[in-house]
Amino acid sequence: MTSVAQPVILNDAAKDEKQESQIRVIFRRFRKHKMAVISLILITIIFVSSLLAPVIAPFERDAIDLSSSIRPAPPGTVDSQGRVHYLGIDHLGRDLFTRVLYAARVSMSIAILVVLISETFGAFLGALAGYYGGITDTLISRVIEFMLTIPTLPILLILSAILLRRDVVIPLPGFVNRFLSAMLLAPEREAQKVVMLVFILVLFGWLGAARLMRGMALSLSKQDFVEALRATGASDARIIFRHIIPNGIAPILVNASLALGGVIVAESALSFLGLGVQDPTPTWGNMLSTSQSYMFQNPWLPLVPGVFLVIVSIGFNFIGDGLRDALDPRLKR
Amino acid sequence: MTNYLIRRIIQMFFVVFLAALFTYFLFNISPGGPLAGIQQQQRRITREDLARLRAQYELDFYWPFRFSRWLIGLPNGPIVIAGQERFTNLAVGCYLRRDEQVVEQDGQMVVIPAGCDQFVFLSDIPTLHPEVRSSKGIFRGDFGQSTVIRAGRPVWGEMMTRLPATLELMITSVLLSFLFGIPIGIYSAIKQYSKFDYTFTTVSFIGAAMPTFFFGLMMILAFTVLPNMLQEQFPWLPKLPPGTRVAVRPYAVASWLPRVTPGTPLDRFLHLIMPVAVLTFFNMATWSRFVRSSMLEVMRQDYVRTARAKGLVERTVIIKHALRNALIPFVTIAVLTIPGFFAGAIITETVFAWPGMGRLYFEALTRSDWNIALAFIFITAVLTVIATLLGDILYTVVDPRIKYT
Repeated sequence: MTSVAQPVILNDAAKDEKQESQIRVIFRRFRKHKMAVISLILITIIFVSSLLAPVIAPFERDAIDLSSSIRPAPPGTVDSQGRVHYLGIDHLGRDLFTRVLYAARVSMSIAILVVLISETFGAFLGALAGYYGGITDTLISRVIEFMLTIPTLPILLILSAILLRRDVVIPLPGFVNRFLSAMLLAPEREAQKVVMLVFILVLFGWLGAARLMRGMALSLSKQDFVEALRATGASDARIIFRHIIPNGIAPILVNASLALGGVIVAESALSFLGLGVQDPTPTWGNMLSTSQSYMFQNPWLPLVPGVFLVIVSIGFNFIGDGLRDALDPRLKR
Repeated sequence: MTNYLIRRIIQMFFVVFLAALFTYFLFNISPGGPLAGIQQQQRRITREDLARLRAQYELDFYWPFRFSRWLIGLPNGPIVIAGQERFTNLAVGCYLRRDEQVVEQDGQMVVIPAGCDQFVFLSDIPTLHPEVRSSKGIFRGDFGQSTVIRAGRPVWGEMMTRLPATLELMITSVLLSFLFGIPIGIYSAIKQYSKFDYTFTTVSFIGAAMPTFFFGLMMILAFTVLPNMLQEQFPWLPKLPPGTRVAVRPYAVASWLPRVTPGTPLDRFLHLIMPVAVLTFFNMATWSRFVRSSMLEVMRQDYVRTARAKGLVERTVIIKHALRNALIPFVTIAVLTIPGFFAGAIITETVFAWPGMGRLYFEALTRSDWNIALAFIFITAVLTVIATLLGDILYTVVDPRIKYT
């Protein structure tokens, strides 16, 4: 046993040292992509301030300002107690700055949850398909092909029209619900609806990761080191989780950061059409949707959530681009 | 190749069937539909009236039978095998439902179906569902009737009134995107890392990542709302109509231009500008990036170097040797625009209140007009599958190295 274990330990140590420097190399390459760095900074600022929403926000999320008779009111309006509405008041008299912060929290939580779940699930299925081949591969690949042929947006719309508007709720254990409602800073009832939306978006979200990982696993499983692992008696599970998935993780990372932008846009598109997250839970999408009715008198109104949405969606794309450049071995310098 | 084609076509039928079954099932498990809330609206409605209405919308069938009637128009009566009517006593639905009112835990009264007082048997179908009312099945080109948006009118007719608007929008924007996207992509590739390349790579990056609905709102803001607000100071600022396809009343674009009469080509052109701009920006962005990368790939090939080494003029190398091969992968993308010509653009059409197919589908969904939504999904799925196959076949035509077996 010891004779087998020793080379593994040596190998791991060598790998750790190499990984350390590799991460530094990746970081150095990533820094060269100026737009990606700027995007990363901006998104981090938005993300951190959304985490600190209850501390930063000057008002309560749904609090209505009764002192102002003009609704919606422009940025800089001061209420009777002298508090400033930095980004103005919406049509119901709620503070927009506060709502944008909470919306960032909701939109980003949804995006992170969807991407985490779907990339993990997709990578796992893809690795299975690529590693085992045969019937497993045929089955998984056919499902992916089928899902890719059906038009996504119309089906997403059907699902959310049916599931979200009819109060269908996935039964989840209480602590998950409490965690989600704490994460979104919203009552549990609202959090449950968000879970439904996450579920709908995951349904179509895992395809990209699965296809990528399948390709990687297919080529990796034919390489000598996998053969060597099999010869040492490593189990399939160990090979898949310790060797195939870590080796194929780079394209998944790039895909995930692009998907974060995509999911944020998809979620706000659904909410914009009135089929996603509903008022009073704020998201950038439903804020834009209500602003549409008032924009002819208040042209600044759609800009408030819109600017955040654009920064985040374009930002994640730039980060993905930067990561791709940084992780691409063909560009080794 | 023949084997491959046969296999693909069988797969296509399978995919379309599954998509149809899936969407039909989704609509059926969902509450709502054409008769939702009718008992609340009209309290004096009797059970028999309700049963008749349900029969009119074919809601009395169990859903697998309803699905089969929707798909192929069967069963439309007893099944005749060897001159004899069989299965006449097979219950395919419930005509008169027995409802029960139940008080739920939170004190709300809920009506749930508790049984059936009168079943629909196969032999009843001709009397309960006369030929005039029932659809012949979508495989025979009958998409049934609209239930909410144009109650009682055929779905096909309603779609045909919307199709011209969608075609106008999509054809214009696709043509414009080709016209701009391809040359921009080629030029960026030739002058890689130049100012032009950087500018357009960034622009197309932003275009592809920009949410179309926000871009649409920005267009309306810039070309309708702002000129309107600044009318006093700058009366010469032109403003565009923000929505729909034609105006109702004559309107002025700018103070220095004559008023536009509704329905004229100029009026329609003005309405087209903003939605087309949004769609074109998005397509152009994705396509120019695609052409750029494919062109760069080709320019690295040996035969391009050979062509240069031969002493050919750079222009000939690019147009005759590189470009033709670079556009091969583009064929597949171009073919995939086909379903869009029918389906339109759901989000852009909604933002600009464009009376096209995408908006019809969205209306059908929000107002629970299942037949229209189903027809839309079905046709879009068929077109998508056909376009994918066409793309794969075209691939072998333009690139003989690729062979399917």
